[in-house]
Amino acid sequence: MLTQGFFADFGMNDIWILATASLVAASTAMIGVFLILRRQALIGDAISHSVLLGIVLAFLITDSRSLPVMLGGAVIIGLLTAWLSDTLHRVGKLQSDASIGIIFTLFFALGVILVSLYAGQIDLDQECVLYGEIAFVPFDTIYLGGLENGVEMGPRAFWGIGVVFLIVLVSIVVGFKRLETISFHPNLAVSLGINVVFWHYFLMTLVSMTTVASFDAVGAILVVALLVIPASSAYLLAKSLKAMLFIAVAYSQASVIIGYSVAYQLDSSISASIAVSAGILLFATIILLQINKKRQTYQIPCLIFIVKHQSYILDQRVYHSSE
Amino acid sequence: MTQSVIPNIKKLMLSVIIMFSFSSISFNAQAQLNVVTTTAMIADLAKNIGGSKVKVTALMGTGVDPHLYKATQGDLRKLTKADIIFFNGLHLEGKMQDIFEKLARKKTVVPVGGKIEHSHLLQHGKHPDPHIWFDLSLWHKAGQRVLETLQQKDPVHKTLYQNNANKYLSEMDAVDAWIKQETLKIPEAQRILITAHDAFGYFGKAYGIKVMGLQGISTAAEFGLQDIKRLKDVIVKNNIKAVFVESSVSPRFIESLVAGVTAEGHQLKIGGELYSDAMGPDGTPTDNYFGMVKHNVNTIVKALKN
Repeated sequence: MLTQGFFADFGMNDIWILATASLVAASTAMIGVFLILRRQALIGDAISHSVLLGIVLAFLITDSRSLPVMLGGAVIIGLLTAWLSDTLHRVGKLQSDASIGIIFTLFFALGVILVSLYAGQIDLDQECVLYGEIAFVPFDTIYLGGLENGVEMGPRAFWGIGVVFLIVLVSIVVGFKRLETISFHPNLAVSLGINVVFWHYFLMTLVSMTTVASFDAVGAILVVALLVIPASSAYLLAKSLKAMLFIAVAYSQASVIIGYSVAYQLDSSISASIAVSAGILLFATIILLQINKKRQTYQIPCLIFIVKHQSYILDQRVYHSSE
Repeated sequence: MTQSVIPNIKKLMLSVIIMFSFSSISFNAQAQLNVVTTTAMIADLAKNIGGSKVKVTALMGTGVDPHLYKATQGDLRKLTKADIIFFNGLHLEGKMQDIFEKLARKKTVVPVGGKIEHSHLLQHGKHPDPHIWFDLSLWHKAGQRVLETLQQKDPVHKTLYQNNANKYLSEMDAVDAWIKQETLKIPEAQRILITAHDAFGYFGKAYGIKVMGLQGISTAAEFGLQDIKRLKDVIVKNNIKAVFVESSVSPRFIESLVAGVTAEGHQLKIGGELYSDAMGPDGTPTDNYFGMVKHNVNTIVKALKN
């Protein structure tokens, strides 16, 4: 899989890309576990569309397409998407997938209307002003102590997503017991006096922050894929929340490494290759589980026969001994 | 099963990381300057001015809409190994422009449209239209930027670059004059170019043609019913004979416009396909800048003339 050329070409840039992708993958995989359990897996996809409204509003207010402005608009609308769809689900008693669909299409459509009304002459869409390209992560560096003669600290995306990863990790470690109770036994959580509403919004805030920061770092397709696929693979294998988190992170890291080598071999898009690798790993897992199940089902008739046979022999023995 | 999977994956990851850390960086001495450009139009400038002394690679292949460009793993390496990077600027490359501006601290990274005076640019509010290659006098300035950069980077071949540039840029001036001649063949009332999106603003301004688009510059903008009605009125009032589709934009908007107008009993046809944000496929007459420009002009003039 890894050729001579790969070793010869490999350098610091590749390490930065792998490190950034790895942090994005770990953060989204952990968040994804909770989304899968709450049946809100497509919230990432929803936010990737609804941020258009945030971008357009931020542009109309400031008349600027600079990154901080765009990120600010995207974060606020991302939060609103996650919060409102959660509220619609709980207060409006609508299903969670329907609530997500209602909110994000509403925001996206509002964004499209605003673009055609006020910004039709300006190149303004999330692809162009917000979504990052992971291949160019190493070139977008930050400098400590001023732009001109400061020390180069490495890629901006790496540090940005690094902070997000730490926040996600600490939040999950600190809030683990509560998040576990809320995810599996929401009614019990209420009777235990856990502030369920707070934790719902807290989780949705983490989701929004992680997705928007990851969009900026690596683009939309990879984030949407990594929110859903590794956590789904883990869902098939894990027997506890803790195991599911670990397995999801392991799957996400494997996808990053396999995907990056594939992208090198095929000279293809890095994000798309990682997303495809994650998918292939999921299908491989399903197939292995099915084979395993088949093997067990073939064993059962044989076991039943032996058990029957044994009892017959035992019966015979009892019969003979009593004789 | 799960318990045995996790340590295996950890081991695999660890070994891969160790293998990676033993990697080395390759050096290759090159006689040619390694030039990387974003669009194929800029690559054409660099190839003609640099001649045999430069090796030019375009990130966005012919036929790729800059709005829809997705980088590949190899693009990272192309940029890393480049001696000079030329990009269009004026926000054509979107977020990539920020990256180029940062990269400019370490490498020679030049926006070919960066030094054009503001008075020459079409402005939408504070934001300039980036499609400068449709006005050949502006693209001439872009060519001069390429020349200056090559001469600074490689002073040994200064005169060679100058000669190449003189030849190429004078041909550009000749094509510029030819377009002005050609467009005069269209009756004045019918000098209206209707396309899918507003890429031809500079073309219209430079050669006296009114340009109307169905869609804004952004691919996210969708046209409204008012836009269609406005265009229909203009077509009927001025007796416009043809509208045009673009190579990098879906033709279905323009097709629906034609269907709408012909349904009302007016004659309107699709005048042909114009190259807007990208050039034609390799090996065709339109795979270079002059070929693309001439194709556009011939298509427009032929369809609107009578």
